[in-house]
Amino acid sequence: MSLGKWTGFDSREGVREGLKTVGYIATDRIANTVYLASQLAKPILVEGPAGVGKTELAKATASFMRVPLIRLQCYEGLDESKALYEWKYGKQLLYTQLLKDKLDRIVQGEMDLSESIEKLHQYDDIFFSPRFLEPRPLLKALQQKEGAVLLVDEIDKSDDEFEAFLLEILSDFQVSIPEIGTIEATSLPFVFLTSNSTRELSEALQRRCLHLYISFPDEKLEREIVRSRVPDITEKLNRQLVAFINKVRQLDIKKLPSVSETIDWARTLVLLHAENLDREMVRETLNTFLKRQEDMQVAEGRLDELTEQAVREAR
Amino acid sequence: MDRILENFITVLRRSGVRVSVSETMDAVRAVALSGYEDRQLVKDFLAASLAKSQPEKLIFESCFDNFFNVEGLGGQNALSANQIATPAEHLSAPLTQMLLSGSGGGLSLAFREAALGAGIKDIQYPQQRGIYIQKLLQILGLNGLNEDIQNQAAKGSAESAALAKSLESMRDDLMRLARDLIDRQLDLYASKRSEEMLERQLNFTNLSTLEERDLIRIQVIIQKMVKRLKDRYSRRPKAARRGQLDLKRTMRKNIVYGGVPFDPKWKSKKIDRPEVVVLCDVSRSVSNVVRFLLLILYSLNEVISKIRSFAFCTNLVEVSSFFEKYPVHEAISKILSGDGLSIVLRKTDYGRSFTDFREQHSDCLSKKTTVIILGDARSNFGEPRTDILRFISERCKRLIWLNPEAPLRWGSGDSEMKKYIPYCTLARECSTLHHLESVVGSLLRSR
Repeated sequence: MSLGKWTGFDSREGVREGLKTVGYIATDRIANTVYLASQLAKPILVEGPAGVGKTELAKATASFMRVPLIRLQCYEGLDESKALYEWKYGKQLLYTQLLKDKLDRIVQGEMDLSESIEKLHQYDDIFFSPRFLEPRPLLKALQQKEGAVLLVDEIDKSDDEFEAFLLEILSDFQVSIPEIGTIEATSLPFVFLTSNSTRELSEALQRRCLHLYISFPDEKLEREIVRSRVPDITEKLNRQLVAFINKVRQLDIKKLPSVSETIDWARTLVLLHAENLDREMVRETLNTFLKRQEDMQVAEGRLDELTEQAVREAR
Repeated sequence: MDRILENFITVLRRSGVRVSVSETMDAVRAVALSGYEDRQLVKDFLAASLAKSQPEKLIFESCFDNFFNVEGLGGQNALSANQIATPAEHLSAPLTQMLLSGSGGGLSLAFREAALGAGIKDIQYPQQRGIYIQKLLQILGLNGLNEDIQNQAAKGSAESAALAKSLESMRDDLMRLARDLIDRQLDLYASKRSEEMLERQLNFTNLSTLEERDLIRIQVIIQKMVKRLKDRYSRRPKAARRGQLDLKRTMRKNIVYGGVPFDPKWKSKKIDRPEVVVLCDVSRSVSNVVRFLLLILYSLNEVISKIRSFAFCTNLVEVSSFFEKYPVHEAISKILSGDGLSIVLRKTDYGRSFTDFREQHSDCLSKKTTVIILGDARSNFGEPRTDILRFISERCKRLIWLNPEAPLRWGSGDSEMKKYIPYCTLARECSTLHHLESVVGSLLRSR
């Protein structure tokens, strides 16, 4: 099994350039891992702090491959009927009601119960056929003819049981539905799982995936990301802003500003026609990347110093 | 599978990264794809297929750097051939040739082979370093080099003396390199093993004989233990029991549809987390064990939904808020010293402490509560007040008594343990980490 037929996955440089064309600046490690996953046809388990672009990687891969992204958001209590498939119970019931006359006619003239049951048995699978099946994300991903990117987001939020249930899909790309049988993938989906490590994932799951840890990008890369997302930004402001954010990340705060928040801030500053970082500007826009009152207080206390350092460093 | 990868995976396993067979196969396929030419590529590929969590990634990084480190062997100190004009006919030993030709690659290969020949993988203790260095250098052909140096020095000409000198300095470099190599191997292969041994030993040592320097290590072990327990028992409270119809709820819900079950309801199961109340004797005789029990209970806070802790000696006070306010060690030492508490640290009085508990805190007892009492039940011949213990025992789900003394000594001297036992669901000796773990395990298991 290989995913090599997908265009753009013939080399790791190809992967990196491809991701770049859809606006995702990947490090070597990210590009290499995605390339390896495509060659081994294995899911990737992506871990890292919140907001470093884990979900974004899956989205970018999907748009680079030009296949649909099918997303399954995990939460506590998520079960098979929400993730895999569900019988359209209402429809089944409605049809039996509507077809009552038909059913009556079928069993008409039969003398005893066993004969009527026998007769009905010829039709019994009708109500448990794919027509009455409501595919949920996992099944949908397997059914895509052209392949798909399946994103199982925040797998650590789901229950252990659900994790165990995912294993069949991740290793064999197939699911069993008791009433119908085993459904195999028509074309292998590219699977991403993301986790914020709020709990340890089971070994069985880890074993089936390749693992990728994304940490905060270094300043150079982050500048590149900002440039690709906010093309209007001047080089000088970009330097100052990224330096400032990296300073803030070293402060003792609860929620570190993420890459997406850096981008938000860059957009804000561009909208405000900022040329330079200055103290007032930073103070007014602090809430674009700091979301907790305590964090803001910590940052505000050292605003002068941080701004000055960032401006000096960016020179 | 090639030897290099096989050895590398062995190193990873010894360093504590769990590598399964299927992951090994992934690694083989990955390396087949990458080859060994591009170091970064090999590293990324192997990292993705072998190290599956952030801590494992860190271990992987250091192992990879240590294992695939061939730079620094030879090359930089070896004189290049043109610097030494002397024809090499008298220099018979292959090692000498190699040094003089300055072929770093050949030297590092020779090093690697010699390391394999010397069985470096089996090194276990730092004390074995000398033996292995000797072995390694023997195989590398040090004797030949020594002879060459002597021969050159014996010739007496200025030129050969200079050559002997430079060969000597190269020999010193070689020894240094051998030492580095052995040290690295020791890091790779041995550190994990001795760590494991120490841990095993600590698990079964009596807590009261542990020393201050073991404390940090103990805390690491406790954290590991808690994590293991947590992984095993902290299942989410709500899990659907798939496929089981909840008839009552379905009927109620579907009355609006005239009894046609349009909207089926399914059964779900709820898992209770135990509520725990701990009474800790903090008198001097048991204070060592209390420290550890408090430590483990503090860490268990996340698993157990409600935990209330009380400390007693002469009287009893609640200390739960301390655990929330202060970091773990500060809280524990504050409790043990009685700092900021209205606790009286004189003679242990079980009777009075129980009375205090009944009068002030009996509201925290319910049919879901597990009460743990930690103490040696030595009440200095005071009134044991077994009636209060019965009162507690009747109002809670379980009453567990953990005694740091061995059962043989229960009831001897001023110990009231024998009188208390009838009211306990479980009375156990608890003097090693191993005991603690089994007790905590059973606490979480029997819901």
